[in-house]
Amino acid sequence: MKHLKAAYTTLAARHGMGAALFVAIAVTLWVVVFITLPQLSMLDYSFRFNLPVDQLGTDADHYTLEQYRSFFFNNDGSINTLDITILVRTLVAALIVTAIDVIICYPIAYILAHGANGVAARLMVIGLIIPYWINEILRAFAFRVLFGATGVVNTWGMQLGLWDAPIDFIRADVALYCGLAYAYILLMIFPIYNAVEALDHTQVEAARDMGAPLWRVHWRVVLPMAKPGIASGATMVFMLTAGALAAPQILGGPSSLWFTQVIYQWFNESSNWPRGSAYAVVLLVTCISFVLLMMRVFKVSVGEIGK
Amino acid sequence: MPDRSVLLDHITIRFGNFTAVDNANLKINSGEFFSFLGPSGCGKTTMLRCISGFSEPTEGKVLIGGKDMAGVGPNKRPTALIFQHLALFPLMTVAENIAFPLEVRGVSKKERRKKADELLEMIALPGIGDKKPGELSGGQKQRVAIARALAVEPDILLLDEPLSALDLKLRQHMRTELRAIQKQVGVTFIYITHDQGEALTMSDRVAVMSRGVIEQVGEPDRIYNRPRSAFVASFVGENNAVEGIIKGQSGETAALETPMGTFEARVGGGRKYKAGDKALLFVRPEQLIPGESANAFQSVLSRQEFEGATNHVFANTGDQELRISMVNAGLAGSLPGQGETLSLGFRPLNATILPVGHMASEA
Amino acid sequence: MNRHTLFGGAYAIAFFSFLFGPLIIMSMTAFNSSRFPRVSPWECFTTGWFNELFGNARLMEGLLNSVIIGVGVVALAVPIGLAGALALSELPAKLRAALYTVLILPILIPGVVLGISTIVLWGQISRGMGAGFLYNGYFLTIVGQITFVSAYAMLVFIARLQRFDATQTEAALDLGATPGQAFRKILLPFMAPAIGSAAFITLLASFENYNTTVFTVLSESTFTTALASKVRHGTDPSLSALAVIIITITLVGALTNEALQRRKEAEMGGRASRSPLYLNPVTRTLTHPGVVLAILVAVIGGISYAGSQHDSSVCEAGVLQEKLDRQEELRAAQRAKIEAMEAEQEKTLPKSNSAFGGAFGGLGTPAPAPEPAPKPESPSAFGGAFGGITAPKTDE
Ligand SMILES: Nc1ncnc2c1ncn2[C@@H]1O[C@H](COP(=O)(O)OP(=O)(O)O)[C@@H](O)[C@H]1O
Ligand SMILES: [Mg+2]
Repeated sequence: MKHLKAAYTTLAARHGMGAALFVAIAVTLWVVVFITLPQLSMLDYSFRFNLPVDQLGTDADHYTLEQYRSFFFNNDGSINTLDITILVRTLVAALIVTAIDVIICYPIAYILAHGANGVAARLMVIGLIIPYWINEILRAFAFRVLFGATGVVNTWGMQLGLWDAPIDFIRADVALYCGLAYAYILLMIFPIYNAVEALDHTQVEAARDMGAPLWRVHWRVVLPMAKPGIASGATMVFMLTAGALAAPQILGGPSSLWFTQVIYQWFNESSNWPRGSAYAVVLLVTCISFVLLMMRVFKVSVGEIGK
Repeated sequence: MPDRSVLLDHITIRFGNFTAVDNANLKINSGEFFSFLGPSGCGKTTMLRCISGFSEPTEGKVLIGGKDMAGVGPNKRPTALIFQHLALFPLMTVAENIAFPLEVRGVSKKERRKKADELLEMIALPGIGDKKPGELSGGQKQRVAIARALAVEPDILLLDEPLSALDLKLRQHMRTELRAIQKQVGVTFIYITHDQGEALTMSDRVAVMSRGVIEQVGEPDRIYNRPRSAFVASFVGENNAVEGIIKGQSGETAALETPMGTFEARVGGGRKYKAGDKALLFVRPEQLIPGESANAFQSVLSRQEFEGATNHVFANTGDQELRISMVNAGLAGSLPGQGETLSLGFRPLNATILPVGHMASEA
Repeated sequence: MNRHTLFGGAYAIAFFSFLFGPLIIMSMTAFNSSRFPRVSPWECFTTGWFNELFGNARLMEGLLNSVIIGVGVVALAVPIGLAGALALSELPAKLRAALYTVLILPILIPGVVLGISTIVLWGQISRGMGAGFLYNGYFLTIVGQITFVSAYAMLVFIARLQRFDATQTEAALDLGATPGQAFRKILLPFMAPAIGSAAFITLLASFENYNTTVFTVLSESTFTTALASKVRHGTDPSLSALAVIIITITLVGALTNEALQRRKEAEMGGRASRSPLYLNPVTRTLTHPGVVLAILVAVIGGISYAGSQHDSSVCEAGVLQEKLDRQEELRAAQRAKIEAMEAEQEKTLPKSNSAFGGAFGGLGTPAPAPEPAPKPESPSAFGGAFGGITAPKTDE
């Protein structure tokens, strides 16, 4: 509090009373009304019963663990393997998508930072950004076109004689994984690029000069430099993939639900908001603990994200 | 004429536990060209920012024109600061830059332009008003920054190493120009530099700083000829330092026993010594004269560096290496060769005995 | 070294193929008259899907809603993001890290969670205070989106602020400006380009958002949610037509922006006087961003006009007839096959497939293998082709 006040005073001294007031009000509004209160409210809701409006505030309206219990256990007391499996599968899938993105983005980030220059680099940057100006839904749709039964992949695959009946890539989740990996490429490339760019290229050349093979140069020189970037990119890709809703709805096979879809169903199809809130809390807590755990393991801090 | 003096009344500035300026106490006179000279990191910029109002002193007071400046912000003080990297506004034209002080005071656009053109005339750069600072050369930017600062019509102009980014030739030219501008406008200039050449050639008076402490204040020749501390003696100009023990003092001079012999020299800073005190003897290279009978001693010539008008000769006496500057005597003169014995001496008044203290190389 | 350059180049090409391939193929399907979005078999070149797109009332209504919401989000998120960036620049290191974490969190929190928490909070508020007017799709969506969109704006501002030389502000103060004047005349003009890009990014993010909006928009729909429900309930190439439009706008924007950046750079760096492009008055005019934009718009306008005049009905009728014929023949073949199977039981299937595959593959592509019992979920050739006619346009 004391620090906040001091910061406010320096702000006022540097940019004037008006600017300081504006900053103070806007940031408070953002932190309290837009970020904190909704989460608290959702948390509160997740401990309540799903009551019709006329019963709110009556005796029936008290706190309960019912919503969380029903995530872990079925009514008959057995473990709710269905929902838990979906959550675990969502996390694993998000992890796989993140790994795919790291693998395909690292070389491009490196090429962008140290291989390409001038016009080539500019074109690459534009080329990276343009696909992200196109609606998320349409990007997913593109993969549906690509992987559909009569999509290009099936047509070409069969023409080349690789397989002779259309493969259902949608059901096999191939389209989903591709679409998700595609969706967050940019979020992986730029943090890695920023980290790798700081590397003095002569270091790479020096290492090459000493006869180190390319993979070793990367392992020993470039990768350590890229690590914070990878961590930052991976965090964002993981969180966004685990929290994705559109792509699973459009590209997901009929049998494989994403956990967000379960939440969506509780809200929009079953109109059970407390249950949906509880599931949302479960998703949030799981994702954040997972990311924090990974950050602990790879020794990076939250401050790196978004750089 | 307004009072354009600055009084630093026992100023101390601390950052946490670190003391950046330690008990500075001096008066800068109205219309003076005053320099702070010291190695980088000694607290010069900190001092300047305190005068201009960007920071308040931890202890003490700043008085400008006799008025206490406590609580007066930089925009309310009669000072203008020329920043180390000039801080011209890149998005404004040169004329807009120069007229910025008038703009914020609500002066009309036409008048602003007129004043800007006048000032551009003064710095001998008429007609560049519509360019952007990015299109100017280093020297031009420098002058525009001065014009912009003068547009405030300040009583005090503060300059923070303004020439450090220029190349040598331009730097020397700008020294003369700055001095001329100062004479013309009559504003007090407070100039900061780590370059003693700048400080000594331009200034009316110089304050030498080290580790946040003002070591000595005085006219350039006094700083050079009558250093009051080991730091000043070693920082300003070249100097030979020899350690020794006081044998006795008589008025202005004292006798000092050193490994090279016992010498008689002037006592710096009017100090009093007892026999047995440790002290340092400072003799400038140009004061060591071959064949001089006063304070004579023998040394062996080890090497020479030829530099046209002067020869830098290095000679050894025991462990001590001495630096000697000799005027080039031309073909008619002669110098002993390497390894030959050189008989040297110096006049007692041209050498200074000072207490042991930190030297420039250790600052 | 050369080997590595080659490898790097090849990798880059493969990577960008992955990035652009799906978009290109999707765009191509917009011009194929096939009712299911696909490039092969190619039926007829058509521009009819564009008309179909503009005729989609729900999408167009969503577009309007998106614009309203987008304007609201930009108007609030940009100042909030700027405030966040300024606050971070003044805080001591420890507190700054904490605030940064809090402010960046909404980007990481699943959008679903943000959407839910927003409607839950404002639902409670409107019930508790009887302020039912707050509980509407526009307001909730703006509020919900601001939460994370502001963080995007903030990141843009932080990047710009890091390049700000604080002595500029000090110089202004020293020259007599009040802190407020220095803020308005020095810092804000410096931030101006960032305000532009932040506005653009926040608008795009607001427009694009699905995960949060699908909850907060309640019974209304935005462009993106309308799009999503259309995609989920059966697809047709009018979506590809939409993609073509968006990609075109994007390319025009990117090219104009590039021209703008180049020119700005040339002017700032003093390189302007040296570049031959800039000296020659003709090329100088031609490379002016405004002119670039005008030329691009004119070309696209021309192409669109030519396209709108194109009539593919004859060709389509031909294809339809061919399809009906083919279906008839397939039925005949099936009948024959069943009869044959009844007659002699050990005749194998693949042979008969390839037999009429060759017969009907007019464009040199084998006709999709007919499956006796197509899976209901998989959009097989026939399901796509004929299901499209009766594609459900229902809400969820
Ligand atoms: N805001 C500050 N916080 C902490 N230390 C500072 C600050 N400003 C300057 N210092 C320290 O004070 C000393 C003097 O700095 P300065 O006045 O800039 O030196 P110079 O003589 O080179 O201009 C330096 O050691 C510097 O690190
Ligand atoms: Mg300094």
